[in-house]
Amino acid sequence: MLSLNNDSDIPLYSQLSTQIMESIVRGDLSTGDTLPSVRVLAGDLGVNMHTVNKSYHELESKGIIEIVPKKGAVIKANEQKISAKRIEILSEEFRPIVVEALVNGMKKEEIHQIITNIIIKIKKED
Amino acid sequence: MEFAILLITILFVSLFQIAVPFFVKRTVVFGVTIPYEEARHPKVMHYKKLYAIITAIVSLIAITGFFIWNQDTTLGETKLVLIGSLIPFVILITGLTLYFYFHYKMTKLKKEQKWFGEIKQVRVADLEARSKDEMLASTFHLIPAVISVTLIILSMNLFDQLPNQIPTHWGPDGTPDAFTDKSWLSVLSLPIISLVFQFMFFGINLFTKQSGIKINAGNVKSSKLRQLRLRKYTSWFLFLTNILMTLLFAFLQLNLLYEDLFSGSLLLLVPFGFTAIILAGALILAIKVGSVDSDFEGKVIDDQSANSKTESVDEDKYWKGGLIYFNPNDPSIFVEKRFGIGWTLNFANPIGYFVVLVPIALILILSFSI
Repeated sequence: MLSLNNDSDIPLYSQLSTQIMESIVRGDLSTGDTLPSVRVLAGDLGVNMHTVNKSYHELESKGIIEIVPKKGAVIKANEQKISAKRIEILSEEFRPIVVEALVNGMKKEEIHQIITNIIIKIKKED
Repeated sequence: MEFAILLITILFVSLFQIAVPFFVKRTVVFGVTIPYEEARHPKVMHYKKLYAIITAIVSLIAITGFFIWNQDTTLGETKLVLIGSLIPFVILITGLTLYFYFHYKMTKLKKEQKWFGEIKQVRVADLEARSKDEMLASTFHLIPAVISVTLIILSMNLFDQLPNQIPTHWGPDGTPDAFTDKSWLSVLSLPIISLVFQFMFFGINLFTKQSGIKINAGNVKSSKLRQLRLRKYTSWFLFLTNILMTLLFAFLQLNLLYEDLFSGSLLLLVPFGFTAIILAGALILAIKVGSVDSDFEGKVIDDQSANSKTESVDEDKYWKGGLIYFNPNDPSIFVEKRFGIGWTLNFANPIGYFVVLVPIALILILSFSI
């Protein structure tokens, strides 16, 4: 189940990417599965096709899915997903959040705990 | 015979019209979206009951009137048929007028109560729903086209042997009482019209399949089941309509090509029989779809997986008068009707006009040019 919050400050396409990635983490979607076409998913959600298109391209650039002509958006295999370069980008994206936590006096263990809780929550949902 | 058929039709239309507020989605009351937890609000139920009572009274008066007219032997058969055909429209217009009144009342109530004020509004989609979609393949609708094409070829071969006058209308006893001059158009119009219908049904099925499976976050289980049933049963109903319509047109065309092929009574019985089958099909469709996610379902929410209060996004602003859907963002071409069972067009999408209005215009032009 994908769920987008209309009132959130996070743009819809970005929420959609996260929701699709969460579905993969939970095992609702697995390697080789094809995502619905842009038109179909936009119709189900009642959002503009550009929103879905943008999300699919974001997922493609992150190496999560592969857009295969005539077949659609296919979920890539786990091992080939993350490159050293992607890890570098991810840690760059983590950095400001970690800095904010540290500057507020949070300890290393507390930050670890937050991340563990998030992981548990994602896997339990649905 | 005519009286019985008309009476059945009137009864059918009345019952359907009276029951509409109870078999539509319970979160859309007279075209106004409300949260699940307010579906049993006393004022909401009061409006629905009031609507049903008034519609029932009007229908009862009309049916009684129809019986009295039937006793009046001075009236004549044509006049009786005319009155009988008008009554369903009177009931429909009564229902529509009441709809607009209660639509206004509901809009006011929703504003007063500030529904949706604190509820988190989300858009949801189920990636597995597509695999459970049981709509018929669109190509099914092209199978009857073989019959139409065969009839066109047959008619072209027989063209020279046909009389110079082609019957266009038949009296109650099955003898033709109106004729037109023989031309390619007048000889071929029936199978061409049925071919246009078949392509229109193909297009409707194709684009309905591509349209969104709309799920309500407030009650995922019921709303999904209703959407899947609506898709399945309307596509079957459309196919049934296609087959019966093709047979009816083929029957009329064969009657045109080979005079005296069918007896007069058969000419009368076939259209009546087909009407009866269509009515029965519509009834099954209404029961199958209308019993889910409506007031008939009983318990409001049987799915407790939604722990926090969430509902689907209130899309009332895209529904003009609660009846006409105009949403440029939604690529869906057909969406579930808000007052009735079935589909309505997304008027913001030009493909919809092309799929439905162009074939209808073509059919009207063909039927009036004979």
